[in-house]
Amino acid sequence: MEAAFPQLCILGASAVLLAAIIPLWRRHVPAYIVAFQWQSFALAFVTALVGYMAHIRELYIVAALIVAIRGMLFVRLLRKLQARVGEITELKPLVNIPTSLLIAATLVVIAYAATRPAVLVASSPTRGAMPLAIAVILVSMFTVASRKTAIGQVIGFLMLENGIALLSAVASYGVPLTVELGLFLDALLGFLVMQILVFHIHDAFDTTDVEQLSRLKH
Amino acid sequence: MILVILLIGSPLAAAAVAVLARPYRRALGVVTAVLSTASLGAALFAWARVLREGTFTAASGGFRFDPLAVLLTVCVAFVSALAAWMSPLIGSREEYTDAQLRMLGILVNVFVAGMLVAVTVNNLAIMWVAIESTTMASALLVAIPRTKASVEASWKYLLIGAVGIALAFAGTVLSYVDVRQQLGPVPSALHWDAVVAAAPSMHPQVLRLAFVFILVGYGTKAGIAPMHTWLPDAHSEAPASISALMSGVLLAVSTYAVMRWKAVVDVALGGALYSNRLLLTFGFLSLLVAAFSLVVQRSYKRMLAYSSVEHSGLIWLGLGLGPAGTFAAMLHVANHAIGKSMLFLLAGRILQRYGTTDLRRVSGLLTAMPATAVLFAAGLFALIGAPPFGLFVSEIRLVAAGFATGRTLLTIGVLALLVVAFVGMLRALNHMLFGPVPDEVTVGEARASEVWPALVCIGLLVALGLGVPAPLHALLVAVAEGR
Amino acid sequence: MVVTAFLHGLVALLVAPALVGLIRWVKARLQSRRGAAPWQPYRELAKLLRKERVVSQHASWVFRVTPYILFGTTLVVSCLIPTVLAPTGVQVFGDLIAVVYLLILGTFWLALAGLDPGSAFGGMGSSREMTVAALTEPTMAIAIFALALPAGSTDLGQIVRRTLEMPTSALGPGHVLAFAALFIVTLAESGRLPVDNPSTHLELTMIHEAMVLEYSGPYLALVEWASALKLFVFCVLLANLFVPWGVALSANPTAIVVGIAAVLLKVAVIAVALAVFETRVAKLRLFRVPELLSASFVLSVVAVVSAFLGR
Repeated sequence: MEAAFPQLCILGASAVLLAAIIPLWRRHVPAYIVAFQWQSFALAFVTALVGYMAHIRELYIVAALIVAIRGMLFVRLLRKLQARVGEITELKPLVNIPTSLLIAATLVVIAYAATRPAVLVASSPTRGAMPLAIAVILVSMFTVASRKTAIGQVIGFLMLENGIALLSAVASYGVPLTVELGLFLDALLGFLVMQILVFHIHDAFDTTDVEQLSRLKH
Repeated sequence: MILVILLIGSPLAAAAVAVLARPYRRALGVVTAVLSTASLGAALFAWARVLREGTFTAASGGFRFDPLAVLLTVCVAFVSALAAWMSPLIGSREEYTDAQLRMLGILVNVFVAGMLVAVTVNNLAIMWVAIESTTMASALLVAIPRTKASVEASWKYLLIGAVGIALAFAGTVLSYVDVRQQLGPVPSALHWDAVVAAAPSMHPQVLRLAFVFILVGYGTKAGIAPMHTWLPDAHSEAPASISALMSGVLLAVSTYAVMRWKAVVDVALGGALYSNRLLLTFGFLSLLVAAFSLVVQRSYKRMLAYSSVEHSGLIWLGLGLGPAGTFAAMLHVANHAIGKSMLFLLAGRILQRYGTTDLRRVSGLLTAMPATAVLFAAGLFALIGAPPFGLFVSEIRLVAAGFATGRTLLTIGVLALLVVAFVGMLRALNHMLFGPVPDEVTVGEARASEVWPALVCIGLLVALGLGVPAPLHALLVAVAEGR
Repeated sequence: MVVTAFLHGLVALLVAPALVGLIRWVKARLQSRRGAAPWQPYRELAKLLRKERVVSQHASWVFRVTPYILFGTTLVVSCLIPTVLAPTGVQVFGDLIAVVYLLILGTFWLALAGLDPGSAFGGMGSSREMTVAALTEPTMAIAIFALALPAGSTDLGQIVRRTLEMPTSALGPGHVLAFAALFIVTLAESGRLPVDNPSTHLELTMIHEAMVLEYSGPYLALVEWASALKLFVFCVLLANLFVPWGVALSANPTAIVVGIAAVLLKVAVIAVALAVFETRVAKLRLFRVPELLSASFVLSVVAVVSAFLGR
C-alpha cells in the first residue's frame, strides 16, 4: 500500500494536466470554468495526499484552502464574471484546435525532457509528478497566449498558478505555511485585479474579445 | 526596526491617508511627498550605516540591508520622492477626477512600498510576493486614465507580468527542494543568507532548471527581450509619474531579484559561467531589439520605453561580465534611475502641453517650453551615453569590463548597437526641439516650481559623470565583490 | 495455444451480439423506454442469415468478398487478445502490431466495399471512415505502446502479466492517459456517439451505417456481427489491459471459469458506462470529430512520453 501513494499522487497530477489541456480542446467558456474547478479539486487531492504521506499537517490546511478559494470562490467569481460580460464561446482561437493540441503534446515532451536531470537527482517519492507539474505550467502559458477571450486568458493564468502549487506540493512538500498564506492572499488580490480590468475592458471596448485590443503597435 | 518603519511605513501611511481622507483634498498630495521624503531620509541613513557597519539586519532578521539592498533602496526612495513632488497629486491638474486622484494616491504608495519590501526583505518568497504585488498595483495605475489605450496596455502588462512572475515562483519552488532537505520546513529556510549558506550542497541539475525559470520570470518584469512586449505599451500609457517609477526603478528591482538568485546559483554550480552566459544572451538580445525599435519609433514616450529595454539589457550584460561588469551595471542602475525618471516626468509635461505623444506633431519645443526643452535634451543626451553625464561613465566602464573579460566580439556588437540607439534618439530629439510651434500650443513655461526637481536630477547626473563620489564608490565596490 | 485462441474466439463470437444488445437495452432504459431484450441481436442475426442476398448490379467481387474478410480479420483479432487467458511462456501470442493492422485491414476492405457499388451514401461513408481511421489507428497503437514500454514487450499477454505483477503501475500517468485515449478510440472505432450514431440510418452525418447501407441478408449479418466483435475487442482491451485482475495465468479449469466470469463482468460494466455516456452526450458535428480524435491522440502521446521518460 505504501508504494501506491506516490502512484496516486502522480495519478492526481495527471488529472491536473488533463484539466489544463481541456481549454485547448473546448470552445465553450463555461467548460473552461468546470475544467478549472476539477483541476483545483485534483490539486487539493494531491496536496492532501502528500500531506498524509509525509505527515505534514500544514498541507491539509493548504488543501482545504485550495478547495475553498480556488475550487469554490474563484469558480463562483468566474461564473459571475462570465455572466456579466457574456462570453460564451471562444470563436476564433489564435491557433486551431488540432494544432494547439499538438503543441500541448510537444510542451509535455519538453517538460519531461527539461526536468529529466532534476528528477534523476530528486529524492522525494513523488518526483515522478514533477514533469507533469512543469507541463501544466507550460500548457497553461500556451493557453494564456492563444486564447482571445479575456476570461479564457484569466483561466489560463489560474491554471498556471495551479501548476505551480502542484510543483511545490510534489517537489518540495509545499513551501512554509506563512509563505503559502501569503501566496493565497496574493492570488486572491491578483484575481480581483484581473476582474476589475476585465470590467474596464468591457466598459471601454464593449467586448472582452482581446482581438480588439490591437491599437498599440510597435 | 525604526529604520524599517520609517522606510516602508511612510509610503504605507501615505496610502492609508489617501484611503481615509474624505473628501479627498488635493493638499493630501503634499502628505505623500513629505512622507516619501522621509522614506528617502531613512534610505540615506541605511546607506550611511551599511558603510559604517557593513551588512545589518532589522526586525529580527526579517529585513536585511546589505550594500546591494541599500543601493536599490536609495534608488527606489529617491525616484519615489521625485515622482511624488512632480506628480499630479500636487498642484492642480485638470485631467484627473478626485476619485482617480485618490486611486492614484493609494496605489502609487502601495507600489512604492512593494518595491521597498522587495529589495530589503530577507525571505526570497516574500521578495517574490512583494514584486508580484508591484505588478498588480502598477497595472491598476496604468489603467487609471481609463482610455482604451491605457486599459489595453494595463491588461497586457498584467497578464504578461503575472505569467512571467509566476514562472519566477516556479523557479523559487524548485530550488526550495534542496534547501528544505537541509534546513527543514521552517519559514527561515527561504531566507537569502540561509539559502546561500546551503547552496554548496544543492543539486546543480535542479538549480540550472530553476535559474532558467527565475531568469525568464523576473526578466519579464525587467523588460528583457523577448518578454518585453508589454513594456512599451505600459510605460507609455501610464501617467508620467508612474512611468518614471516603472522605468526608473521597477525594472531594476526585478533585476535585483535576479542578482540574488545568481549569487545562489553561482555558489551551487561552483562558477558563474552558466549564469553569465544566460545573462549575456538575454542582455544582448534586449539591446538588439531595443536599438532597432528606437530607430522606427513614432512616439516619444514609447521611445523612452524602448530605451528602458535597452538599458535593462545593458545592465544584464554588465551583470554577466564579472565583478567589474557588476560595478558598472550597478552604477548604471543608479544613473538610469535618475535620468529615465526625470525624462518621463518631463515627457509628461510635454504631453500635457502638446496633447499628443506623436513625434511628428511635436515641434518647436525650444520656443514653446524653453526650460523643459533644454532639460529634456540634456536628459536625452545623458540617456544615449554622451559626456559629461553619469551614464557615459557607467557605459565606458561596462565596455571596459567587456574587453577585460575577453568578450571582444560581444562588446563590439554592444558598441555598434549603442550607436544605432544613439542615432535613433537623436533624430527624434532634433525633430522635437526645432521647427515651428503648432498653432494650438501655448508658448511659455508654466511655473518655475515644476522645473526644479528636474534640475536636481541633471545636477546629480553631471556630478556622477565627473566622478563617482566616495560613499557611492564604496557601496558599489562592496556590491561588486558580493559583500 | 491453439486451444486458447479457439476459446477466446468462441467467447467473443457468443458474447459480442449480447454486448451490443445490452448497450441498446441500457440506453433504452435510461431514456425511459422499455427497449428490446439484450439478446435481440441474436434473433436479428438469425433472421438476416436466413434471408436472400440482394447485390447491386454495379457491385464487383470486392463487395462480395468484403464481409468475409471483415468478419475473418475481426475474428482472428478476437482470438489473439488475452480475453480470458494470458499464459506465461507463449510469446507470439497476440502481438499489439498484429492486432492493430488486422483491424485496419478490415476497415480498409469495408471502405472499399462502401465505394464499390457507386452509391452516394457509401462513398461518403467510406471517406469519413477513412478520415476517422487515419486518426484512431495510430492513437490506438500509441496508447497500447504506452503500456508496452514498461512491460518491455508488445505482446499483449506480457502487458497483462506485468500489470498483474506490479499493481501500482496501473495508477501511473501512462496507464491512465492511455486508458482515456483508448476509450475515445473505442467510441470512434465502434461507431458510437459522439463520433457516429449507431441507431440511425437517415442522417447525413452517419459514418459506419452509410458504408454498409448496400448490404443485405447474410452479408449484412456478417458485417453486423463483425462490428459487434470489434466493439467486444475494444471493450476487452480496455478491461484487461488496464484492469487485468481475473485474467487466468494458467489453463486450469477454475481459473478459466473465473477468467470468463471476470471478463464478462468487466465488459458489462464498460457496456453500461458506454450506454450512460452515450445518453449524456450529443453527437459532434463532423468537422469537430478530428478535434476530439486529436485530443485522444495527444493523450496517447503524453501517455507514451510519461511511460518512457517518467520511469
